[in-house]
Amino acid sequence: MSHDITHDGVADHHDHDHKPKGFVKRWLMTTNHKDIGTLYLIFAFAMFILGGAMAMIIRLELFQPGLQFVEPDFFNQMTTMHALIMVFGAVMPAFVGLANWMIPMMIGAPDMALPRMNNWSFWILPFAFALLSSTLFMEGGAPAGGWTMYPPLVLQGGHNVAYLVFAVHLMGISSIMGAINVIATIMNMRAPNVGYLNMPLFVWTWLITAFLLIAVMPVLAGAVTMLLTDRYFDTSFFNAAGGGDPVLFQHIFWFFGHPEVYIMILPAFGVVSEIIPTFARKPLFGYVSMVYATAAIAFLSFIVWAHHMFSVGMPLGAELYFMYATMMIAVPTGVKIFNWVATMWKGSMTFETPMLFSLAFVILFTIGGFSGVMMALAPVDLQYHDTYFIVAHFHYVLVTGAVFAIIAGVYYWIPKWSGHMYNERLGKIHFWWSTISVNVLFFPQHFLGLAGMPRRIPDYSTQFAEFNMWSSIGGFAFGLAQVFFIYIVWKTVRGGEKATGQVWEGAKGLEWTVPSPAPHHTFEDFGPVDLDKMAHGKTH
Amino acid sequence: MKIVIILMLLFILFSLGSAMFYLVKGQGKSQNTVRFLTVRVVLSVLLFLFIILAAHMGWIETQQPAFLRP
Amino acid sequence: MSEASKDQYYVPHLAKWPIVGSVGLTVTVLGAINLLNSENPGTPWMLYLGFAIILLMMFGWFGEVIKESEDNLYNTQVDTSFRMGMIWFIFSEVMFFGAFFGALFYARTFSVPWLGGEGTGLSTNEVLWNGYEGVWPTNGPGDLGGRFELIDPYHLPLINTLLLLASSVTITIAHHALRANNRSQTIIWLIATVILGAVFLFYQAEEYIEAYRDLNLTLSSGIYGSTFFMLTGFHGMHVTLGAIMITIITIRVIRGHFRPESHFGFEAVAWYWHFVDVVWLGLFIFVYIL
Repeated sequence: MSHDITHDGVADHHDHDHKPKGFVKRWLMTTNHKDIGTLYLIFAFAMFILGGAMAMIIRLELFQPGLQFVEPDFFNQMTTMHALIMVFGAVMPAFVGLANWMIPMMIGAPDMALPRMNNWSFWILPFAFALLSSTLFMEGGAPAGGWTMYPPLVLQGGHNVAYLVFAVHLMGISSIMGAINVIATIMNMRAPNVGYLNMPLFVWTWLITAFLLIAVMPVLAGAVTMLLTDRYFDTSFFNAAGGGDPVLFQHIFWFFGHPEVYIMILPAFGVVSEIIPTFARKPLFGYVSMVYATAAIAFLSFIVWAHHMFSVGMPLGAELYFMYATMMIAVPTGVKIFNWVATMWKGSMTFETPMLFSLAFVILFTIGGFSGVMMALAPVDLQYHDTYFIVAHFHYVLVTGAVFAIIAGVYYWIPKWSGHMYNERLGKIHFWWSTISVNVLFFPQHFLGLAGMPRRIPDYSTQFAEFNMWSSIGGFAFGLAQVFFIYIVWKTVRGGEKATGQVWEGAKGLEWTVPSPAPHHTFEDFGPVDLDKMAHGKTH
Repeated sequence: MKIVIILMLLFILFSLGSAMFYLVKGQGKSQNTVRFLTVRVVLSVLLFLFIILAAHMGWIETQQPAFLRP
Repeated sequence: MSEASKDQYYVPHLAKWPIVGSVGLTVTVLGAINLLNSENPGTPWMLYLGFAIILLMMFGWFGEVIKESEDNLYNTQVDTSFRMGMIWFIFSEVMFFGAFFGALFYARTFSVPWLGGEGTGLSTNEVLWNGYEGVWPTNGPGDLGGRFELIDPYHLPLINTLLLLASSVTITIAHHALRANNRSQTIIWLIATVILGAVFLFYQAEEYIEAYRDLNLTLSSGIYGSTFFMLTGFHGMHVTLGAIMITIITIRVIRGHFRPESHFGFEAVAWYWHFVDVVWLGLFIFVYIL
């Protein structure tokens, strides 16, 4: 223990010596994992608001049947850009931000393994999204063929095709470098006495996520490169007249796309697996089975991609195979859900804001998971395909799944980052406001989809009017709730009750052994750490 | 005959992968990286010779567009 | 805690090159976009400027790393981080090539036979492409780009295979020589490798010229032309990159860098070169021969 205290004293002292002065040196040239994590989180938040504004336009147009506010083509640009920005600009960078901040502190490392490259991974992103967003102001507008970029539709986009393709390339470069850094950090930078099975689950889920990223981002790069050459150099990858096949794009895209889904949800599993034991005051139930379940989900994610294409016209054998393979994913996912529930069983629970968001995650993500199992059935998917049922499904797993986990993570760790406790009452208001409105927003979309309302359409038949109006009201309320969240975060960063190093009574892990706010440099001596302080330090 | 070529290609990939594994494990001190790389070069040369032989003996046919086929 | 102490993990401060790299990438990409989108493109100055900035960044960044390495700031743990970075980078390259090989195999086993009426493609063939024989190699039922002939695999490609194989042998000899601390041998065999790589690139260019001029085999020759040029083209880019890296390594050996027991930069580049060679073997077999 005394070792820890002296160590912190030294780190604190260094803090004043080493934090670079001036904006350019502190942020543009930084190699510090905490500063880069902050940059990622701020960037992701900004993109979340931008993508959210686009969602508001979509819901505004869909408030009533008929065309009221925007042109159909602009509506299509909004659905396309909303998805690209939320997936690549908000959710993925937010998790990389959490990884940057927390992984080195959780495994007792002085920093990320490749600090200069870490800086570059982040500083590519603002440029990539500036490129992509600039198309909104151009003649012909932004890409409007859907975020899945299916040819031949997307190739009719005019000048924006090149912007889209190169922006995706830049995002890919950034993600691959970020993932390489995470892997090198986790495999090479653990404190000397921390084994793989001592690592917190957040670290484990990120390790597996990073493997997925390195395996599939280059495949996406290949796919969009073929789009580029088909559009500008007359190749025939996706042109049947030349012996190619538009469906080939869908195969390559979804070979990327399905693991991408788990890239966005596995770190969320990790965050929730940190938070629930803390507020249930019990160790995580079935730690090792959680690790295996995560790995199993990652493996399965590579062999199920064509369930996104049941209606495209595949051979019957392929339909059957992809149907059964997809349903197998429910098994490891179920293991996780039951483990979280078992962790809470007979725990002495309290319900602070991070815990509330995590509980909502468990329940609402499960709803999204169940609708996923429904559409895994090839014959009924022919009915669901490209309807609002799909929209409801993936928003349940991505908004009440990934985004709720990110919000939970921010509430959980912000005392460690800023040194201040957030306002618990405001946090609870934010939680109930978000949770109620998000269900008003997305639950009616299930009914709309089952009744046959297609997605990506600015107008609809009048029998869908009532549910759409409810959905839009929920949407506006949910959007406003996130503006309120900005206010809460801002207030917390600026001041508030001082946080202790431990922050949460039931929290275990190395990040809680350093003071709050965490000093600019932690674990600089890279010595052995106190395994008793880790949640899984001794048990395996 | 095609299967022989593909199998040899797989062996080459395996030795290349092993060299990569020891690139990290061996820290540059062990002989394993350079040994596996040597194995893969020798296998590649053998594969090359086999392809020449197979083409010469007519075991494999090279591709031609449909309109140029006899 | 001085930063120069070797028992500490070296964490650099104030990296100025990444942001330069981001600007370089953006300028390059914008240059490429303008080039693609304009009706009559002039000299693509913006593209060149972008390349120049990226080159500057690479020189600056690698120079910093090499200096730190030769100043003995890196302990074995830092070394391991670099090794992991390199192997996972190469893994991502494998997946990138995988996408293009996947397209090739998909076209050959599925889309072309289907267009020719196999399986469920029967009515497509009858109604849309009647009379089309789905046999590889093909420019598709639309006869895109007109009739073309193939590169004779036993002429230039065979020579190129020999050249690349020979270059793998020479770099392996150089590798053994470096481990035996025989520097002059290392330098000679490295230079031989670079020359073999350059000759390979020269013949590859010859082959493209022949394809366009004499054989009417172009990028627009349907799926065959697409896969042929994209696969060999990306491979050629990687050979170029590898040759540049070997040149840098050679200069470093001449300057007295590396030791028999610690030469990660060398090993990484050598491994990259082997990877590029194996990709070529795959191309030679699946694109040219079978």
